[in-house]
Parts: sequence; structure tokens; C-alpha cells
Amino acid sequence: MLRRFTLTLLSAGAIAFCGGAFAQDTTLRVGMSGGYFPFTFVEQDTLKGFEVDVMNAVGEEMGAEVTFVTANFSGLFGMLESGRIDTIANQITMTEEREAKYAFTSPYVYDGAQVVVKEGRDEIGGVEDLRGKRVAVNLGSNYEQLLRELPYADDIDIRTYESNIEQDTALGRVDAFIMDRVSASQVIQEKPLPLQLAGQPFSEIHNALPFRDTEQGRALRDEVDAALEALREDGTLTDISERWFGNDITRP
Amino acid sequence: MSVLDFDYMLGLAPILLGYLPLTLAMAAAGMVLALALACGLAVIRVLKLPGLNGITLLFISFFRGTPLLVQLFLFYYGLPQVLAFLTQIDGITATIMGLTLHFSAYMAESIRAAIVGVDRSQTEAALSIGMTNGQLMRRIVLPQATRVAVPTLMNYFIDMIKATSLAFTLGVTELMGATQKEAAGSFLYFEAFITVAVIYWAIVELLAWCQRRLERRLNEAYRR
Repeated sequence: MLRRFTLTLLSAGAIAFCGGAFAQDTTLRVGMSGGYFPFTFVEQDTLKGFEVDVMNAVGEEMGAEVTFVTANFSGLFGMLESGRIDTIANQITMTEEREAKYAFTSPYVYDGAQVVVKEGRDEIGGVEDLRGKRVAVNLGSNYEQLLRELPYADDIDIRTYESNIEQDTALGRVDAFIMDRVSASQVIQEKPLPLQLAGQPFSEIHNALPFRDTEQGRALRDEVDAALEALREDGTLTDISERWFGNDITRP
Repeated sequence: MSVLDFDYMLGLAPILLGYLPLTLAMAAAGMVLALALACGLAVIRVLKLPGLNGITLLFISFFRGTPLLVQLFLFYYGLPQVLAFLTQIDGITATIMGLTLHFSAYMAESIRAAIVGVDRSQTEAALSIGMTNGQLMRRIVLPQATRVAVPTLMNYFIDMIKATSLAFTLGVTELMGATQKEAAGSFLYFEAFITVAVIYWAIVELLAWCQRRLERRLNEAYRR
């Protein structure tokens, strides 16, 4: 019994030791929330979205199998840190802090931060009108950071949400929410929520895939980066973007 | 959007029900393991076993004193940074571990209370006719304590079923995780969450019915 236990422990250790490298040669484990329309979402039990299509194309280009792992957004970076996934495809915005900690590919989506309000709230015409307002952002997203960098940040009542910020804005519980322009337009166009864009995007956003900043992570990042570059050149990225958004968000 | 989209709900229900077995399996596994652990802890507490008693007190204090979500994050994301081989633990195992440790702390106290609640005169009577400690426990104290403990233990089981909804934070797509993702695709949040609420409610009602039957059987000897 004790011997069996020791054996199990030893093999578990061995798997942990070389498992990472082995798994990465054959499969690319991609984490996403499954809750960010139209990038990653589920319909009739099937995972879909721009990110899913892009990562499948990357896998094909690399000759690797792609497995998707869905978890609450707040759990995704923990999964990356603890080696349970290789990267996150969830419109991860490159920020100084993140770039210091993770190895990013080159950006594959160029976007802007957008203020969204309930339909008819015309008095809010952009980020400059958010003084004294309640504004929702997703927990762990970089939009909170963007708001805090505004000179009048202290006058904004920032609320962080785990999910459902669109719903709470439509309900009038908050005055506005911040999201990337692309998915905000998509939400307004496709979903039955009374929302409208308020003004122009107020900050440029570059989205890319983060990898662990280790030798292994960086090697994998280079491989994925090369695949992304090839997909950009042969027009696949543009095709995928046109299919989901009707325009090309993969170029600056 | 003021009217509920019933067609959507009817279409969603079978999809969500596909995730019910996983939810129930995690709760059932957690319950069996927690019950076993809680019995051990309760006995240690009742007999005040030297050494173990202190550890048990600390265990109960920690697992009852911190939120389940914090414990799940600790097991799943925190510990693997210190002990690399723990990365091999998947989300389902981590959830079951979390449920087991968390709920055993609560259940240990309710089992202890049930044991202590058996009148002292019963113990004295059993010992006076020459029963051993084992016989005393098996034949006199535990059957009576079980009757007292069942309602509260069922309470914890019901709570545990609902607590599995935290597992999506660890990447386990169970009932709640599936609902969140479907709602993100349709933006019919109200419909999606009503549907999942009804499913949880129905399961818990079914269990409550089983509990009433079980209690009736356990109470047979006391019926006048």
C-alpha cells in the first residue's frame, strides 16, 4: 500500500516535471471565459466566437491540437500562472503591468475603450461626462485602470462586476459601462438590450495572447506568434474578423 | 424584452440538464467524504483525544472561518505555485476537496452536538449492564444521535449542491457555468437564470421529500 502510494507520488512528480513540455508539443491549451460575446460564447452547448475561430486557425497553422478551457474570467490568469492552460484568448489587453509579467504575442486585435449607456441617456456623450456617475467595469479588466488614470477619476463611482455589466446598465443600476468598442457595438446590434454608444472610443487598445514568461512559455509564444503572422499575411485573420464584425479589427 | 421567452427556456432546459449529473456527482462525492471526515472529527472532539483535539479545533476554526471560494482559490491557484505537482489536480477534484474540507468542519460540529445530546443516563444505563464502549456507541448512542443529526446533515447536503456553482471559477463547466455561458450567447439573462434556478429548486425539493421519508422511518420508534 505504502509502495503504491510512493509510486503514485513519484509518477505524479514526474508528470509534473516533464508534463508541461510534452503536452505543449502536441496540444495548445487555451483558456477563455465563454462569456464575452461575440469573442467567446456558447450557443446550444457549442463554444463559438471570434477567439475560437482564431485559435483553431492558429492550431491548424502550427499543426497543434487546440483544447479550450472555459472558466470565470477572474480564474483565467490563475490557471495560466499555475500551468493549467498555455494562454488566454479573451481579448486580453496589453498593459504595462501585464507585459512586465507575461510574454505577449504581437497584437491581433486593435480596438478602443467605449462608454456605453442606456438608450435615451443622451446627456452622457462620452468619457468626459462620467463625472459623478456610476460606471461599471469587469473585474480584472483594464478598463478600471483606464478610468482611474483620468484627471477626474475621484469623481467617478467605479463599480467592478464579475459579469452582466450590460444587463445592469440596461436596468439603470449604473449609468454606464466601459467595454471595447467592437464588442459594445456588437452587443447593441445583436442583443435585445436598450443600450447606446456614448461618443467616440477614448483610448487605443491592443489585444494579444499572454504566455507564461518562462523559457517554455516564450518558445511557445514565438511559435504562436509565427502562426498569427502567417494567418495575417494569407488573409485568414481578416476573413475571420469580417465574418464576425463586418470589418477588419485585426489591423491598426 | 418585458415578456419571457418561453421557447428559449424550453430549449435551454435540456442543455442545462446535461450538466446536472456533474453537479450532483461533485456534491455526492463531497458529501460522502465530508461525512466520513466529520464523523472522525466529531469523535475526536467528543472523546477530547489528546493532541488530536487541538488540531481538530484548528481545522474546524479555519475551514468554518474562511469562505469556500477563498479555500477553492487556495487549493487550485495558490498551492500549485508552491508545490508544482499539485497542478495535476483538476478543477473537479479541487472542488470536491474544497467541499469536503469546508463542509466537514460544519458537519463535525452538528454530529458532535447530536452525540452529546444523547441523555447521559442512557450511557450510564448501558455501562451498568456491562456494555463495552464500542457496544455503547454502536447500540445506544449512535442510533439516537443519527436521528437527531439527519435533518441538519441534509441541510448541509442541500447547501453543498448549491455550493458546486462556484466550480466554474476553477474552470469546471457545471450547471451554473453552463448557464452563464449560454446567457452570454443569447443575452437572455433573466430566462437563463430562471431556468437554472428552477432546476436547482426542483432537485432540492426532491431531496427534501427523501428527507421527510427518511425522518419518518427514523422516528418510527418514537411515534405515539
